Amino acid sequence: MNAIYDEIKEAIIDGDEELAIELAEKVVEEGINPVEAVQLGFIKGIEDVGQSWIIGEAFLPDVMMAADAMQAGMEVLETVLANVEGDDAYEDKGKIVLGTVEGDIHDIGKNIVGALLIAAGFKVYDIGIDQKAEDFVAKADEVGAEIIAASSLLTTTMKSQKVLVEYLTEKEIRDKYKVIIGGGPTSFKWGEEIGADGWAETADEAVELCKQLLK
Amino acid sequence: MLPKFDVLTEEQVDKIHKNSMHILSEIGVEFSYDPAIEVLKSHGQRVEGHRVFFDPEFVENMIEKAPAKFTLHARNPKHNLVCGGENIIYMPGYGAPFIYEADGVKRDATMEDYNNFVKLAGASKNMHMTGGTVVEPTDIEDEIRHLKMEYSHIINSDKCFMGSSSGYEHAKDSIEMAAILHGGFDVIKEKPALSCLINSVSPLKYDDRMLGGLMAYAETGQAMVIASLVMSGSTGPATMAGALSLQNAEVLAGITLAQCINPGTPVVYGSTSAITDMSTGSLSIGNPENALFTSASAQLARFYGVPCRSGGGLTDAKTVDAQAGYESMMVLFAASTTGVNFVLHTAGILQYYMAMSYEKFVVDDEIAGMILRYIKGYDCDTDEKMAFDVIEKVGPGGHYLTQKHTRKNFKLEFFRPELSDRQSFDGWSKESLDTNQRAKIKWQKTLETYTPPELDSEIQEKIEAFIEKRTKELLK
Repeated sequence: MNAIYDEIKEAIIDGDEELAIELAEKVVEEGINPVEAVQLGFIKGIEDVGQSWIIGEAFLPDVMMAADAMQAGMEVLETVLANVEGDDAYEDKGKIVLGTVEGDIHDIGKNIVGALLIAAGFKVYDIGIDQKAEDFVAKADEVGAEIIAASSLLTTTMKSQKVLVEYLTEKEIRDKYKVIIGGGPTSFKWGEEIGADGWAETADEAVELCKQLLK
Repeated sequence: MLPKFDVLTEEQVDKIHKNSMHILSEIGVEFSYDPAIEVLKSHGQRVEGHRVFFDPEFVENMIEKAPAKFTLHARNPKHNLVCGGENIIYMPGYGAPFIYEADGVKRDATMEDYNNFVKLAGASKNMHMTGGTVVEPTDIEDEIRHLKMEYSHIINSDKCFMGSSSGYEHAKDSIEMAAILHGGFDVIKEKPALSCLINSVSPLKYDDRMLGGLMAYAETGQAMVIASLVMSGSTGPATMAGALSLQNAEVLAGITLAQCINPGTPVVYGSTSAITDMSTGSLSIGNPENALFTSASAQLARFYGVPCRSGGGLTDAKTVDAQAGYESMMVLFAASTTGVNFVLHTAGILQYYMAMSYEKFVVDDEIAGMILRYIKGYDCDTDEKMAFDVIEKVGPGGHYLTQKHTRKNFKLEFFRPELSDRQSFDGWSKESLDTNQRAKIKWQKTLETYTPPELDSEIQEKIEAFIEKRTKELLK
């Protein structure tokens, strides 16, 4: 096994974004098998952090920095990964578009959800704060996402989550995506009321929800 | 009154102040709302896009224009409140979207809950105001929620209350209702009647909604709490000194804007900074760090010469249990003994502002009563209080139970619990009710027997007509 895989794994565990990029560049330059680099390096590292998180030994900064390092390194590998075809090709666990709804600029909760999803092996496209329904859908369409995840912290912006579901229905593409929602004032009941496919109270539960939805 | 104690040395205050000024001048604060940017630009502050870089000397000058204390006027002058100095003002929790019931059921808050909490605050001798947004009544369309909420405060009590800060237009509606209640805009401009809550979005931002509210209140001379909630570890540094400096910068930026719009307009330095739970990312408020942020904020407000809002009966517990009690006591005690003047969230909050609980309200009301007694401290002013005569009369080995001095003074000096159980074990075990169960009985009884103070029918009609007109306009 190439020694660089262990180095990648350690870089992810340390949450060292710069090193993760550097090592990924080395993989590309030296023509190292990118799928192996992902599976034996990046994923091994993030799984390690995920495991520590589950048993309460890792904390948010550990997981979020590991997720950032993973995402940054994977971005470098994107092109070479896309060139691998057939049975050897790399596949993520699913693509998720994530954002905070229109009118709302709170993003801590959303960022935590994003990091934990990445740590769980999903490919996350974070479109940021104050995003309109059409922005969510445009990104989901562009990347071929299966799930759209919309966050809201204010009772006054929760209705933008409803607008998102309505927009999908109106455009007759409601069945194309699973819509999940979350954020302080939201609830399971609210999710049902607006016809979302799921609601989660915590970031951990959001990861479980995505796993269930993409089963 | 007990002397307020400090948690920072003078040198530490100076370091925090300078650090905040450095943040304001070098890093700047983002204001998304164009009218706010225009105001700061016209006052000579450097603006790049929506980011404002403040001149420290300018900030200091503007803060100086804010009054050290002011009076909030109630429709019953008996309930007028001085905000600032040694005074303390208690009021219910603010903004929770959920109700947690005594048996652990979680449900959406409604307008009926809203009215109930206003009545409970109206009935309480420890709540000086009925607060604002005592719950988020999610059964009312949010376009007109502010009208219904303010109406509830107006008709269910004659104490001071808070208005909406949810954007310029809603804020204007709130202020107009207060003006009708008090006899016109001129009257309330002279004698502020309304206050509101303006929050920054940490780190270093203010959004449109809040800035619109800020401008409406500043223009009409109504009071506002300008507050920052830095979540140390996530929306702010994980060090207490760093998070406090960041909070301080945000609050000073908001106060500066308010003073630019209307020099001398009443403002309150607000803090709800606390920490992030590093295992879940959620806010955590029932802890010693929050108590420290609270006390340091009171001290900074004293340093700047403005009243302070912070603290409360704050907890992360989901039900009225021992955790709810000990955490709430810690934060409310810290707020009250270190000089916070305006204590939003004194009563009712569970789970870091997410929920209101009737039973928790009753528990916090009791805690508030205990603390109000504590901060009154000792009365050594008269011979009667020093009690030499009665000590002489009883002499060695007697008792004081049958002395007139005792009969008169215990009522004046002892806090009388309304919720706590001081019975014998046998007395208590007849019903074996825990605090949660006793609290439930108490609030239900209070609501049954509460009669809202009468409101002049002509004024009531005017207010109702205004609400009807605005409802039609806002819901069309």
